Amino acid sequence: MLQAPGGAVGSSTRMRCMYMFNRQGVCLHYHVWLRPVSVLSRQEDQKLMFGLLFSLKLFTAKMDPVGGSKGQLGAAQLQGQGCSFHSFQTNTYKLSFMETPTGLKIVLVTDSKMSDLREALKYIYSNIYVEYVVKNPLYTPDTPFKCELFNQNLDNYVKTLS
Amino acid sequence: MIGVGRGPKQLLNVVDRPLGKGKNEVSLSAFAFLFSELVQYSQTRVDNIAELERRLEDAGIGVGLRILELLCHREKANRRETRLLGILSFVHSTVWRCLFGKVADSLEKGTEHEDEYMISERELLVNRFISVPKDMGAFNCGSFVAGIVKGILDGAGFPARVSAHFVSVEGQARPRTTILIKFAEEVLQREARLG
Amino acid sequence: MPPNSRPGDAVFASVDRVNAELFTLTYGAIVRQLLTDFEEVDEVNKQLDTMGYNIGIRLIDDFLAKANITRCSDFRETAETIVKVGFKMFLGVTGTVANWNTDNTECSLILDDNPLVDFVELPETCQGLYYCNILCGVIRGALEMVSMRTEVKFVKDVLRGDDVFEIRLKLLEQVPEEYPYKDDE
Repeated sequence: MLQAPGGAVGSSTRMRCMYMFNRQGVCLHYHVWLRPVSVLSRQEDQKLMFGLLFSLKLFTAKMDPVGGSKGQLGAAQLQGQGCSFHSFQTNTYKLSFMETPTGLKIVLVTDSKMSDLREALKYIYSNIYVEYVVKNPLYTPDTPFKCELFNQNLDNYVKTLS
Repeated sequence: MIGVGRGPKQLLNVVDRPLGKGKNEVSLSAFAFLFSELVQYSQTRVDNIAELERRLEDAGIGVGLRILELLCHREKANRRETRLLGILSFVHSTVWRCLFGKVADSLEKGTEHEDEYMISERELLVNRFISVPKDMGAFNCGSFVAGIVKGILDGAGFPARVSAHFVSVEGQARPRTTILIKFAEEVLQREARLG
Repeated sequence: MPPNSRPGDAVFASVDRVNAELFTLTYGAIVRQLLTDFEEVDEVNKQLDTMGYNIGIRLIDDFLAKANITRCSDFRETAETIVKVGFKMFLGVTGTVANWNTDNTECSLILDDNPLVDFVELPETCQGLYYCNILCGVIRGALEMVSMRTEVKFVKDVLRGDDVFEIRLKLLEQVPEEYPYKDDE
């Protein structure tokens, strides 16, 4: 596809895709930069991703050897409570994750060499999602969104990531 | 600490209380959320975009009438503008500065019609966070601001039709909003008499 | 936090602000529209609460994004955060928390001042109106998004002749996260 060899290309080509889920598991937004291979249907893909996040989050919290997360593996916890994972990496991609106390889950999939994206995820939440989706007078909460201002600002912002 | 150092406000009738200097502020977010909810609520009461704009305009008119009273009292010692250009410049500068913290980007006379004037703003406060979906066509939340302008003009004795429009600007990703003012015939006749 | 610090002040100073009159008059326009649409004052109170709820579920994200606070350890801290940071950040005023019940699930949020009511006097026909009822909905909606189900209502209202605004806030339950899909879906 469009992938150029070496590292000389704009950093936006390092972005693969982004998911945003609300607390009910509804995929509010799915953004693709580069994803030539996708084996599942859009819906199955999103549900699988949400399920993975949900389990992984519980798992990492329950495995915490020193933190104060209470309860048994699989026991319910409050949104955003306890420790959580923030990324995992394979040999071909990296998945970065953040969850807000309101249960919004943001997932960024990038190439595997991407640096720590915790600040970037926070920026996307605070300065792009909250500004251009949450404050959009025509946005109905908890529904999937297509906001031109969100897309523009997101695309511009990810170009700055490396 | 409750109530320390504060007068018993409720004992004073609202008209006897000193009128604020208009320097108090709330967060832009508070206004944005309130305005969003006005839009969301209005959408449940209408069948089409024209009605939605009409409802926002109505809400704006109520704000405009009150802003006129406040500003005439505070800034102009209860005097009102009597001339067309005077009232337009009052809206473009005094009103805009009060409501939006700045004068409007431009005030122009319509080139095709004698009775038309336009106030334009590159990023109108109510459009700052908005993305209008394609199926809502040319819907413009600025109809609320158009209503404010109409309320002021009507209240000051310059009846007019006022509407809000997106106008694309070369080299800019976002269109600006133009508030189009079309004065009633009687206003222009009066102006002509005053010379 | 040290007793004299005003945690909301810094946040309020850092956010974009608008003239309170625009906000106050816009709210007035909304209340007038509701009075025309519903006629019954009780219905208007209910509608204001609903609109507040709709605002609350959005506003909480803005609050979390800007206020930079950590998770509240208990409901007492939650209540303090609402009046000291929340009210300040959005409305530019702070309140106090008082009248806790013994098991710390119910308290009063007290406001001396409130920008929604500048220029307002209730006419005879609206005596049953809780003019600021939208605030109850906002608090309820915002807390629900951070897993707290609450009941929120006005018990004192300056517009009705009381000395302060008093909002009674009651925690009903903390709702844990659940997997939203059934396995066979």
